[in-house]
Amino acid sequence: MAKQGGWAGKVLRVDLSSGRISTEDTIEKYKDFLGGTGIGYKVIWDEVPAGTKAFDPANKIVFGVGPLAGTGAPCNGRTAITTLWPTCWPKSLVASGHMGGQFAAELKYAGYDAIIIEGKADRPVWLSIVDRKVEIKEARSLWGQGIRRTTIEISQIMGSEASVAAIGQAGENMVPMAVVMNSVSHSAGGVGGVMGSKNLKAIGVRGTGKVAIAGDKGEWEKLVKLHLSLLGANNQHVVPNSPQPWAEYFNAGSRWVASRGRQWGASQPAIDTGSCDPHDLNRIAYRTNNSVFYMGDIAWQYTVRGNGCTGCPIRCHTMIKVPAVAAKYGIPEMGMNTCGGLNFGRSFFKSFSDGPRGQGNLEACMVGMHMADDYGIWCNYSQLQRDFIKLYYDGTIKSKLSEKEFKGFSWAKYEKGDPSFLFELLPKIAMKEGELGTVLGLGTGYMLERWGIPESEWKEDKNLVYWHLGFPKHHANEDAGQCGVIINTQYNRDCQCHSHCNFVRNGLPIDVQKRLAAEIWGSPDAVDGVGAYTPMNVYKARMAKWSVLRKELHDSLSLCNWMGPWIASPLKERAYRGDDSIESLLYSLATGDQKNRQELDQVAERIFVLHRALTIRDMGTKEMRTQHDAVPGWVFKDPSGKDPFTKGTIRMDRDDISRGMDMYYEEMDWDKKTGAPNPAAYQKVGLVKVAEELNKKGLLL
Amino acid sequence: MVTEGKATIPDGMTGQEEAACLAAAMIIRKKSESGQLTLKEEILRELIRQGFLKPEDSDMGCQFEAILKHTIEKNGDLKEVCDRQSIPHYYSIENMTERYANILIQKEGDPLVLIAEMIRENSKIYPRPTPLDVFAKSPFGFAQEEIFYHIRKMAEQEEYQDIQQTTTSIGTVFLFSTLYLDPDYATFLAEWIDVGQVNNP
Repeated sequence: MAKQGGWAGKVLRVDLSSGRISTEDTIEKYKDFLGGTGIGYKVIWDEVPAGTKAFDPANKIVFGVGPLAGTGAPCNGRTAITTLWPTCWPKSLVASGHMGGQFAAELKYAGYDAIIIEGKADRPVWLSIVDRKVEIKEARSLWGQGIRRTTIEISQIMGSEASVAAIGQAGENMVPMAVVMNSVSHSAGGVGGVMGSKNLKAIGVRGTGKVAIAGDKGEWEKLVKLHLSLLGANNQHVVPNSPQPWAEYFNAGSRWVASRGRQWGASQPAIDTGSCDPHDLNRIAYRTNNSVFYMGDIAWQYTVRGNGCTGCPIRCHTMIKVPAVAAKYGIPEMGMNTCGGLNFGRSFFKSFSDGPRGQGNLEACMVGMHMADDYGIWCNYSQLQRDFIKLYYDGTIKSKLSEKEFKGFSWAKYEKGDPSFLFELLPKIAMKEGELGTVLGLGTGYMLERWGIPESEWKEDKNLVYWHLGFPKHHANEDAGQCGVIINTQYNRDCQCHSHCNFVRNGLPIDVQKRLAAEIWGSPDAVDGVGAYTPMNVYKARMAKWSVLRKELHDSLSLCNWMGPWIASPLKERAYRGDDSIESLLYSLATGDQKNRQELDQVAERIFVLHRALTIRDMGTKEMRTQHDAVPGWVFKDPSGKDPFTKGTIRMDRDDISRGMDMYYEEMDWDKKTGAPNPAAYQKVGLVKVAEELNKKGLLL
Repeated sequence: MVTEGKATIPDGMTGQEEAACLAAAMIIRKKSESGQLTLKEEILRELIRQGFLKPEDSDMGCQFEAILKHTIEKNGDLKEVCDRQSIPHYYSIENMTERYANILIQKEGDPLVLIAEMIRENSKIYPRPTPLDVFAKSPFGFAQEEIFYHIRKMAEQEEYQDIQQTTTSIGTVFLFSTLYLDPDYATFLAEWIDVGQVNNP
């Protein structure tokens, strides 16, 4: 039994300017920040001066994983990539992207908890990590290639077991809307251009080591089994989407779509998903089929199987095989992704001739995945597509492009919902070709600036769901009323927080949700039924704080916030209760550093307060409430004029949200007037030095 | 009392009868696991096939009734539920919920009752409207035309006037009960389930 486990022990530092490669001790320098985004924020705070822009060589990229990555903990396959964000407008501020796949585990097996990339190479390079042998290699032959060929070529050099995180042409061209991708379909949005600005084409990692677990093996296995037993389907939906023999409840909107008779039709032979009793832990992978969830039942016949990240039984990336697209579009018949990645292509179109869940929709998804995942284009949580639709149909694109450029596109094809239109549009974004290609790749904020469109127009349009600083909403009031709104004010990109919506979408009856909510946040009034919102209260503020802290915890431990926290479960014998201590139990047993739930949440609070401090420092103001924590106007509108707090609307009330922000700041021990942490808040989480530095700049209360 | 395997067998039974009780319990559990209720005659048929009962015995009927009675009484997970003709069906709560068993029982009765009660329950407890195509899938298994026929019949009958429809923006029909959901809210929820959640991944 190891005395200490979880962490690999080393942080790798690669200076692309000088070629210097060095390591630091993780525990000595970063233990108080766990890993992942925690290490990322710490590095950016300590080493990247305020005023640095995303594509400056002085910016750094931190590929961080946590102590649970590469262990047997379920849902541990996440890498957090922290940097100054290129689409954050009008100023680059700190943010993180997240990718799944196999990269996180492989990095741990190679012996590292994080990679800090700094400087800029003077020519295209890629980074090879084979255990402790780290080399900066020539990438001229890879430069100009898409992600797929790059991955194949590096895999041929390093071996098929290596995990390759690569950028495509979009990243090379420093398109702000670019991704880095590993394991075929697992991308982190927004980061690709920053890698491109450093001439870093890819990181290949191969590890032959292992991750030690400090605790007793038997106890660890028991805990992992407990965690597995609490899992639902993707996004922790804990009831099936149709009545099942074992299930007391069902929800037609659930991602738990398995049932007898529903088959992975393109596997050989076809595989029946079965009724998936939650006690059968060997059938977790059959519960979810995100292709079906997004594309409709048409996708069953094309489903080969689920795929996903290391150590995760959910398999939320569905592999589909659609032979027709190979002949029709000249693309591979296999595609694989989930959520925004899966929907990338179809989200550009207002409609398809055969309806929203027909063949046209499916083919647009296939074409979109094929192109975006190779060129490495980011969607900014589908804001790219919403902007495009708005700008086309309101005539802006036509008015802003030259006649020649505008006529160069097959708009008739686009309006008909012909997926082949994407072959015209997407390469131009990746290559920054033409005005349209260039502007769409900038991200919304810079796009509005370039085309002289006031941001206020975007903030009032309910269809655009734009938030501010260049990013859209991500599970806001449409999911969880005031709690969702508060969460969305806190970040410098779309918040990517699922703690709250995983709970409210779990499918359980509202009375059960309220009972569970009372146990976690102190009152059943913490949650409302969707669209049946009631006025703000302190319990909703607690839920908002908990949501944000658990997101930071997951992003720093390497647990998937698209699955956790696990406060509900599919188990009737537990009264559908999950376990709010799962994170602390896993952390304590893996690392040997005993922390209960509250203590680990306090570490998460430290990490999140550091994020806040970074935002204050780099914005040069402590007036967070007015300058940063804004809520767009569309949140306070309803298309049919319904009032807030009536059933059937997600419309919020301004005064109520203002009270909500007051309550949230109070929960966080932040000043209500400015939204900045009080000195005591920094002290409570051990960030006294951070407070001192802010004080020197006049940015402390 | 002797407990053998998962069945608890009363004193005073022969070894053969004990084994028959065990077998009967397993028949019910296995069928529950596959999503089916078990009828008496199915248990009887299987016990004969396995050699526990002989049709030529004049008191086979009594033997079977005794075995069945004891099996149900002594195994807490085994439940009996009767259909409209008072015919008993059996299931195990280890593999099947009471709610699911009730669906299966109601399936054998009036389809209007089955459909309406599901819609009303969903409208009350979650609350959510129910997509029409739920009734085309397992365990209901109605053909589309059948479902529409039943909906039309419900519209004609006083006791089902609370069952109403709403259609989402992409054409999916949902059903709800006005006893528990007002039409506006039902429409909102249907749109959220069918369109909103997919558009907000």
